[in-house]
Order: sequence, then structure tokens, then C-alpha cells
Amino acid sequence: MSAVPGLQADCEELLGAFQQADTVRFERFAELWRERRFHTVFYGRIRALERNKLTKKTLELAQQYFLPPYAFQIRVGALYLLYGLYNTQLCQPKQKIRIALKDWPEIQKFQQDLIDSQHYDAAYIFRRLRLARAFHFTAMPKLLSYRTKKKIEENEFKEEFKDPSNRVNSLITNDVLEELMNIHDHYQKMKCVISADKSQPDKALSLIKDDFVVTLKDITLEHQEWQQNRMKLFLNAKETDETENKKKDETLLQSEGSERASALARIKYRSYSAVAEASKSRRHRQVKLESSESAKSPSRSRKTSRRAQPTRRDSPEVRGEMEVAKETAAWHIGMPVIVEENSDE
Amino acid sequence: SVDMLMSSDKEEDSDVISEDSSLLTLRIRKKALERREETIIVDRACRQETLAYEMESHAIGKRPDNPTDVVEEGELLLTLNIFYPVIFQKHKDHKPYQTVLVLGSQKLTELRDSISCVSDLQIGGEFSSQPDQAPEHISKDLYKSAFFYFEGIFYNDRRYPECRDLSRTIIEWSESHDRGYGNLQSVKMEDYVFNDVSLKIGFPYLFCHQGNCEHIIIITDIRLIHHDDCLDRNLYPLLIKKHWLCTRKCFVCKMYTARWVTNRDSLAPEDPCFFCDVCFRMLHYDAEGNKLGEFLAYPYVDPGIFN
Repeated sequence: MSAVPGLQADCEELLGAFQQADTVRFERFAELWRERRFHTVFYGRIRALERNKLTKKTLELAQQYFLPPYAFQIRVGALYLLYGLYNTQLCQPKQKIRIALKDWPEIQKFQQDLIDSQHYDAAYIFRRLRLARAFHFTAMPKLLSYRTKKKIEENEFKEEFKDPSNRVNSLITNDVLEELMNIHDHYQKMKCVISADKSQPDKALSLIKDDFVVTLKDITLEHQEWQQNRMKLFLNAKETDETENKKKDETLLQSEGSERASALARIKYRSYSAVAEASKSRRHRQVKLESSESAKSPSRSRKTSRRAQPTRRDSPEVRGEMEVAKETAAWHIGMPVIVEENSDE
Repeated sequence: SVDMLMSSDKEEDSDVISEDSSLLTLRIRKKALERREETIIVDRACRQETLAYEMESHAIGKRPDNPTDVVEEGELLLTLNIFYPVIFQKHKDHKPYQTVLVLGSQKLTELRDSISCVSDLQIGGEFSSQPDQAPEHISKDLYKSAFFYFEGIFYNDRRYPECRDLSRTIIEWSESHDRGYGNLQSVKMEDYVFNDVSLKIGFPYLFCHQGNCEHIIIITDIRLIHHDDCLDRNLYPLLIKKHWLCTRKCFVCKMYTARWVTNRDSLAPEDPCFFCDVCFRMLHYDAEGNKLGEFLAYPYVDPGIFN
């Protein structure tokens, strides 16, 4: 089906504003909705047949933002958007939201996450939609139609909405780390049992680093931090390119450097269970960018990264560790803004 | 309550787009509306649009009188597009189709009975000498065989003794040499319901009847039955979309639908020529019923008969 002109831009604008507001509260979304008077999107003297088609396409577009790989906040925004569009549509009887069978487990997981992280307003909204029988349970997400299209439309959704693909995190999950810890303990116990001295293993048996599990967890966390920082940098770089303000660049650099240092410090105090989801939903509580005194911080942090590298190389289990080190170095070098400013550092 | 946050507080006319709208969608739509106002003199739904809307929505929410006819929860609803066979040249690019909803628990034979194709109504034979004796038997009664082809299995209609296994020819052909088709099987249509059939969405399948009238069938959607759907089992298979074909009118009066077609007609200006019943008899036969002139006449069924 051909798209409704302008609708994608409007939806992305609303979701973008919601993302910037950095909250998942429904009141905030409702304010943004009312500001834009989004319920008027169905207005315009449309006759019944056309109105049905239009509403179907609108709901289909909004539904796409509700599923992975979008970021948690975008998905909550999409849920609110679906709720708003479903209730303000003018069709009688109401057009329904199509969800494919394969997407239901993810949506149920999403709902469980909402309840666990105590976002009760979002969970309530979802329950309201279920009670209002707003969903069609279909086999395939898109309803097929047989008009020959002149060109194949590629749906390009904004990069900022997507969650950074967290392959390292999906490999080294909570469960994996727990397993590793258990096996490690078991291994240590076995070594003790077969050694002469029952309380600790023989020196000859120490073949691996004892704290490799903790190191692994630290590195994973660091990778995640780095990725988030890179996203922020990417977004900020887009703005600063337009303004071309040198001063802004400098303070930005300094704040990035200080952020990196503070990030490293934060990792050391992070608890065991903070590897996966919690950090995403608490992103809005993260430390804001603050400017530091001098431009020396980038170099300082670079040195710390160099110091950290030798220990990282020894860890046998992490495959991506070389990649992480290279990428961190690349992050400092590759960004065009930094190179020009910091050529002497 | 939560709903109050969405709706506006003052009375609004949903037809009017306000001037200061911040939504891009509305700005574009307003321009299109203004263009329409300039170019169209009378802006209302034409009868095709009304028909299409009616067909789509006439059965929504219907409940049966007899509670045993109610569709159960958990029933599957399939949407099929059945394409017309190519009759007119202009249909080769955009094939017209009808859309039918079927329940998962319905037999294939029910769908077969509900497909209305003009070739079923044809009457064979030349009747210029005895126009009053055109037989009542239509092709549907004479040639009852039909089959569906889904995923390598031919479902043949074997309810009547006259029905033949039309798919046998195809199966023999594919088995004669190694043509790259897997095991093709032939089974009886009346033993199967849609829940038993393995299907792909969007893949073209075949319905063949009358020996050589072929329709392509494509399944566009499978979903669970919903509270707002039509829950009367007797109304399924339900037709919700049909292509409108213009009927061919009589050459003489241009009012009535053509019922006769003539070939090699010395009295007609073109070959073939279409006539309604009254004009046909008035032109070709005298008051006593004798045939005037040389011609061949066949009964004609217009494809638009199902409008």
C-alpha cells in the first residue's frame, strides 16, 4: 500500500520529541500530543471507504515502532501513539492494530519489563488496549495488496530511534556470567580437593587468572558505556556541524573526556546485575555532560586506556576485547571534530 | 480519566482542517482537498465506491439467529483473492479479483460452491434455427469437475459421479519424465477443511473448473476471528470485494444486456454482434417465427452478470 504522505514525518517528529523529553511518563506524551493536536491527523472530509484505508495505514505505520529493534523509550512512545491513534480514529467500527504471531512473545516480554521496572502507566495503557479488543492476531504483519508499485519503497527509519545493536551484551548476559562464576568456583574447589593443602589450590595448578569473570563483566560494561557515549557524540556532532562553533567544540571535547574518565570510575563501582536491561530504562538518570577545566582530559583518558590494555590482553575468554581496545582508540582518532582540535595532544 | 487527555475540549468539525496545523500530513491533505475543490464539480461517492464500501462492511458485527451457527472463538479467518480468468485484453496487466473470507473450519467444497464464474453459466450450442429451444442446462450442471491446487496437492471435487479427476493429466505428465516437480498427489476435496491444508501466504495457487477455466487464488491474510467480525457461520464464505465489470448492451436498443451473439450475420453491421432477446427476435425472425437471412446465433452470458 502506498504510504500516507507526511505521516511518517509527523510520527517521527512526535517520537523524537518524546525521546528528547527523556521520560516514559504518559503525562509528558499527552502534553506533546496535545501541543501538536495529533488527533486531527484523521480530519479532512474523507469518505468512509478512504477513511478505513487511511486509518489502517496509519495504525500499521505506528505499529512498526512498537517492535524491536527500537529503543525502549521509543517503544513506549509507540505504545502511547497507538493508544492515541486507536482512540481518536473516526472509523466506526474501529480499525484494529495488526500484530503478527511471531511478535507476540517479544511484546509480552516488553510488558513484563514495564511491570518490573514499575512503569505502571505504560502497562495500564497496554492493558486498556487489550481490554478494548484493539488487536488483530495475524499470521503476517503486513496485509498484502496487489497494486503494482512504481518503485519499491524503502522504509528508512531514523537511526537515533534504534537501540545500538548490542551484540556483546547479548553474548555475555547475566546468565552466562552466573554460569561462568559457578563453573569457576567449582573449578577452584576441585583444585583444592586434589591439592595437598585442602584450603587452597597448589601453585602449580594456577593456570588461569582468578578474577577473569569480574574482568569480563567490567569490560562488557565499559563497552556498553562506550557505545552510549558514541551515540551521544554522533548526535551532538550532527548539531555542531551545523553551527560550526569552535568554542562549543572545545567544551564538548572536554566534557567527552571527563565523561570517559567518570565512566571508567563508575564501572568500578557498578554492581553485578547492572549488565542488561536496567541501564536502558534508567538512561534518563545518567550523568549529564559537564564541562571540565582543560583539554588535558582527553589525553589523560587515552593514557588510562593504554594502561588498561595490557591487562585486558591477558584475559583469555573475551573475544571482543581486542576489538574493544581498537575501537576505543579509533573513537578518539576517528572523530573528525576531535582530530582538528586535538592534533597536538 | 485517561481518555480525556486525547480529545479536544471544544466542539470540532472533523471535516475542516485548521489553518495553523503543525502536522505535515494535514498540510499536504489540505492542498489536495483544495485541488479537488477546484477541479471536481460534484464531489460525492460514485456508485462503485458505495458498492465497494457496502460490500466491505455489510457483514461486520452480524450475529446469527440460531446460536448453533455462531463462529467459535479461536477460529481462523482466511482472506483469499480469487482472480478472474483473462477474458478481456485490458485485464492482462491489472487482473481483477474478488476477495472472499473463509473460516478455517469450512470445507474446500464450500469455497468451490461460492466461486461464481461466468463460464459456469455458458450454454453450448448453436440455436439460430430454434431460438425458443435454447436448453436450460448451463455448463455448471454439465461439467461439474473442479480442483484446487495447494502446495503440491490436487484437491478434486468428487461429490458427484460425473466429476472426473482433472488433475490426473497433470500428475501423469509430471511423472512421465523427471521434470523437477516433487510428489504431486491427488485427494478428494470434500474430505478437507482449510485448517488441514498447508498454505503459503502470498503464493499463487490454482482453482480449475470446466476443464480449462483457471483462476489464480492468493491467500492474503490469516488471522484469528475477532469480536467485531461477522459471527454468523452461514454467511461464510463471505464476499467482501468484487470487481465491477461493465455489461455489454444490445447493439440495437443500447438498453438491455446482451443475451444473444451472432456470427456471420448478414443482417448485422459487425461480427460478432450482440442483441438483447427482444431485438434479436424482431430482427432475425418474422411474425411466424421463420428464420430470416443467414446467421449463426449463440446464447450469450455477459461477464458483468454478477454485478
